[in-house]
Amino acid sequence: MIVINPNGEQQALMPLNVGPSHPATHGCLRYMAAMDGETIVACETEIGYLHRGFEKMAERGTWQQVLPYTDRLNYCSAIMNNIAYCRAVEEMLGVEIPERTKVIRVIVNELSRMADHCICVAAAAQDLGSTTGFFYLFDSREKTMVIWEKLTGARLTNSYSRIGGLYRDLYNGFEEDVLDVCNTAERNLKDVHACFDRNRIFLDRTTNVGVISPERAISYGWTGPCLRATGVASDLRKDEPYYDYETYDWNVVVGTKGDVYDRLMVRLAEIEESIKIVRQALKRLKPGPIDIVDPRIRVPAHALAYQDMEALIGRFRSVYEGIRVPKGEHYCGSETANGELGFTLISDGSGKPWRIKVRPPCLTQFAAYQELVEGSMLADSMATLSSINIIAGELDR
Amino acid sequence: MADCEKLLAILEEKFGAKRDLADKWGFTVLVERENLHALMLFLRDDQSAKFDVLLDIVGVDYLGFKDYEGPRFAVEYVLKTMKAPVRRMRVKVLVSETDCKVPSIADLYAIANWQEREVFDQYGVVFEGHPDLRRLLNHAEFEGHPLRKDYPAHKRQWLSTNDYLLPELEARLESKGYKIVARSKEVMPNDDEYLEGSRKV
Repeated sequence: MIVINPNGEQQALMPLNVGPSHPATHGCLRYMAAMDGETIVACETEIGYLHRGFEKMAERGTWQQVLPYTDRLNYCSAIMNNIAYCRAVEEMLGVEIPERTKVIRVIVNELSRMADHCICVAAAAQDLGSTTGFFYLFDSREKTMVIWEKLTGARLTNSYSRIGGLYRDLYNGFEEDVLDVCNTAERNLKDVHACFDRNRIFLDRTTNVGVISPERAISYGWTGPCLRATGVASDLRKDEPYYDYETYDWNVVVGTKGDVYDRLMVRLAEIEESIKIVRQALKRLKPGPIDIVDPRIRVPAHALAYQDMEALIGRFRSVYEGIRVPKGEHYCGSETANGELGFTLISDGSGKPWRIKVRPPCLTQFAAYQELVEGSMLADSMATLSSINIIAGELDR
Repeated sequence: MADCEKLLAILEEKFGAKRDLADKWGFTVLVERENLHALMLFLRDDQSAKFDVLLDIVGVDYLGFKDYEGPRFAVEYVLKTMKAPVRRMRVKVLVSETDCKVPSIADLYAIANWQEREVFDQYGVVFEGHPDLRRLLNHAEFEGHPLRKDYPAHKRQWLSTNDYLLPELEARLESKGYKIVARSKEVMPNDDEYLEGSRKV
């Protein structure tokens, strides 16, 4: 297209379509860029290619039936979404989960966070051409996947948390597996830092690329590691602690500039903090019940259904009618790998949710994407995209 | 919570806001839509409030809600503050079906632009003063608003093509001080092929 630029000169810009199916668009994102040579002058984004109508589906089942859908939000850390959803419903029900469940939830939360950060940084490294870094990070992620496999039976979209408890207790040897993941991750992190920290190509591609100011990031509603990379120390695990996060010894990681480099390095440092939390949590793991005892909320054990009339009724009603969540409206946000994952739940007192609105952390980050890439090179837009960790499942719901 | 109680007195006096008792766990205020923009500006900028993060905009359809009388739709704004992060507040506006309009707050929060587009897309609530109100998650050709309670969940629609982003790109260029002289012919849509889905039927 022929344009007259702000200096009054005539210029030929090329509209360039990127995506929706492009290896660097992480699923299905699309943007149209007006290119001046290799520089992006203006950019317009389109999302919704993975829109499956999560919120419509959620209104059609019972409160428990929403759980497996939540795995498909951020599928890189599926269990974390389960826990965030369960926590929101449990707050509405006003129940307190057992101590052991809290600790287990902290452990799987932090393992998921590690895996998610690993994928994000690994994909970013791959997009920048570093396959070595990619494999170092995927190694520790793979070990987490093996734990998920043993724990839940599935690798990717697994659900482990239940409203008022957990799907089942830990398997024998879980502690050793987790310690092994922590050791592997620590060793791999050293290798990853050796790959990147003084790597001229990596530094040139990431520093001062995709910069955002803290004020602008807050106006865009950014949360999580991307906001922390701009230097704002905001973490729900510290600010509004749940599951006793305040009693663990760990630090909030912040960046300084809010560029691609900071976003990736904040994630790498957060893996270390997560390992710290996991190690402490393993020491607190004491035997005990994992489910609350209330047949109206947590379905009674399967074996009981054959012996006990009440348990049979409990199971029957829980499946057919669903949990009766008190009438009202509630918002509950949890700190997930990408930022604040919030659920606005509206209940009319029946067994089915009236409305569930997800607040996906990615959406806020991708909304700012055009501002991040305008004025930079096309190749930098790919580095920027992988650093804000867009998960299409969560973005488009 | 105590801070929010104190704020409520100011909000009541200045904007006629009421506390919404449906939210038993947090703090929600109900406000008339005429006062919404002024109230959000106050909540964002006043020293006693400083709700600088707009987390979410939620659309709700109350059609068929048990024991509910009142306007069919509601739009809720989820706010939190970075200064003392324990403080959260939600602002709720009720919207009737016949006059389905809410003033836009896209000038106050950058993220409101997309979030309002989503509510418009899913519920058909029009945000007056929005710079670019079009669908966000659903397709350009999509007919109707899928999260309304009277939209059948199994309804299928035939959708044929991508969003044609060029007019939006040109608008973006113009907002940056560029003037469009000529469009490129190659990227103009072919009328026979473009938008042959629901819109043309």
